[in-house]
Amino acid sequence: MHIDVRGQLVRDPWFVTGTGLALLLGLLVLLGPMLAPHDPHDMSFGPLSPPSAVHWLGVNDGGIDIFSELLYGMRNTVGFGLLTGITALFLGVAVGLAAAWFGGFLDQIMMRLADILLAIPAIMILILTAALFRPSPVMLALILAIMSWPTTAKAIRSQALVVKNRLHIHASRQMGASGHYIIVRHLVPELFPLYLIGFAAKARMAMFMEASLAFLGLFDPSRKSLGLMIGYALKYYYLNIWWNWIIPPVLLLTLLIMTVTFLAVSLEKVFDPRLKEAW
Amino acid sequence: MEWARMKIFLRKYETVLAYILAALAMIYLSYSLPGFLPGDFVTAMYSSSHVTLTADQEAQVRAFYTQREGFIRYLVNLFTLNWGYSYAFLTPISDLILQALPWTLLLVGGAHMISMVFGFIAGVELAWRRGGYWEKTGVGSMTIMEGVPEIGSGVILLLIFALYLGWFPASGAETAYARHSAGEWVWDVLRHLALPLSTLILAYLPGNFLLTRGSMVMVLKEQFVQTARAKGLSTIRVRYVHAARNVLLPMATRFGLRIAFMVTGALVVETIYAYPGLGTLLFNAIGMRDLPLIQGIVLFSSLMVLLVNLALDTIYGWIDPRVKHAY
Repeated sequence: MHIDVRGQLVRDPWFVTGTGLALLLGLLVLLGPMLAPHDPHDMSFGPLSPPSAVHWLGVNDGGIDIFSELLYGMRNTVGFGLLTGITALFLGVAVGLAAAWFGGFLDQIMMRLADILLAIPAIMILILTAALFRPSPVMLALILAIMSWPTTAKAIRSQALVVKNRLHIHASRQMGASGHYIIVRHLVPELFPLYLIGFAAKARMAMFMEASLAFLGLFDPSRKSLGLMIGYALKYYYLNIWWNWIIPPVLLLTLLIMTVTFLAVSLEKVFDPRLKEAW
Repeated sequence: MEWARMKIFLRKYETVLAYILAALAMIYLSYSLPGFLPGDFVTAMYSSSHVTLTADQEAQVRAFYTQREGFIRYLVNLFTLNWGYSYAFLTPISDLILQALPWTLLLVGGAHMISMVFGFIAGVELAWRRGGYWEKTGVGSMTIMEGVPEIGSGVILLLIFALYLGWFPASGAETAYARHSAGEWVWDVLRHLALPLSTLILAYLPGNFLLTRGSMVMVLKEQFVQTARAKGLSTIRVRYVHAARNVLLPMATRFGLRIAFMVTGALVVETIYAYPGLGTLLFNAIGMRDLPLIQGIVLFSSLMVLLVNLALDTIYGWIDPRVKHAY
């Protein structure tokens, strides 16, 4: 699994494009507060003014500078995606490894639970809790993570079962290694590619969910988000604002999801031994 | 002995049991969550509005909207379409949902059908012509399209084809108050359907194509394909009857795994085009804080998704007899 992975990745155009875009977007996210020319909550500018030197993308109906709002909105979308991705990955790895290592009853229970969760559409749970309780975005991200660990857990479990029966694991057990040692030193690092794939897929799904939920109006309206911006801007489609107000958040969101998709595709291609031949 | 028989029974109906449990979990969540609200539906709805109710009115409204019944009673009501009243529309929730349902089925079902058929055919054909110019462009463009979310493609199609070019209507599912003959009505519905349908097809097609192509490339390396060709069967027969059959199973599996994700996309697309399906109904319900209606739609669509998943599991055995023998 580890044969010249780096070389393959560097030669893969999807990975190179994805990484380049990710670096660019990451820079925008990190430097957002410094790059933003205005406070995104400042509503004192002339509503619906066209783009100018002061307001690069103009001002929206509420008197907010669109460019600043864009930068802050992207931070929220990316943050939501990363938080969900990391939490779901952590849960998935923990459950998958535990199920594979201990097997038996625990395995059965966990995998049936995974089946049940897989069958329930996560968005519906999110909408229900968001509509009833108005939880914070962090809470929603955690709920989404709790709903979406099963795919990772299943992938980790099946690969861990394969690795567990390989010769070097038997050898280390013969030499008296404890279960703890084998899990930490052998299983966890050897499954590393799966973490990357799982994380990219989850982060992509979560960013898409965040944008959709915000678009549908389920977040606090004062929280900046790309989805929310698109939703508001569409209400004014009859004005000539499509190129400075509607298109920028749409493009940024598309770019964001495209970046993660490219990375996910190339990682899967390089690391998944079954897919390798297909490309 | 009894236990052993029980175990066989459990294994056989394992998936069905998982779905029934999932359905019960959803129903129970929907039943119990409002109970955790500080106050109840009525306080939640009126606390953020300017309306102040007298104690008498409040009691009346509360009696009308919140009939706290036992879980069994709730289940029975669920099956008898007695889902309560919408607070904003003052209509039975079942009426609203059943009115919106056909449009959603038309839109989402149509998009799945079309994208599956075309994705499948394109995937099989291009895998057959592996390494050619068309295959490379196909894979490249489809991977790029896979990265475009429904919000992006939906808004861009809306801007170009409805607002700028004006070829298609921007919202709705049929022209309101128009008196059409049957033929004109069908044409009208199709014109309204075109943009939301294309958006969903753009979202579903790449996945179907890439998966078909990927699995097909693997299958074509198998020996039985060589045997079939060596027997002198026509290439079409080899491709579809012998090889492509094997792709159906991963396709169905993927559909089941991604359905929760797709529900979100369909919701967004319906909202963008104000298509009068369940998604737009839900959007309006969220906008008006119509909690009973939100709850009804959420529960109904979750149960529908479970049903589709269950149907898929039965289809597995049909597509691939090996699955049936595994039990």
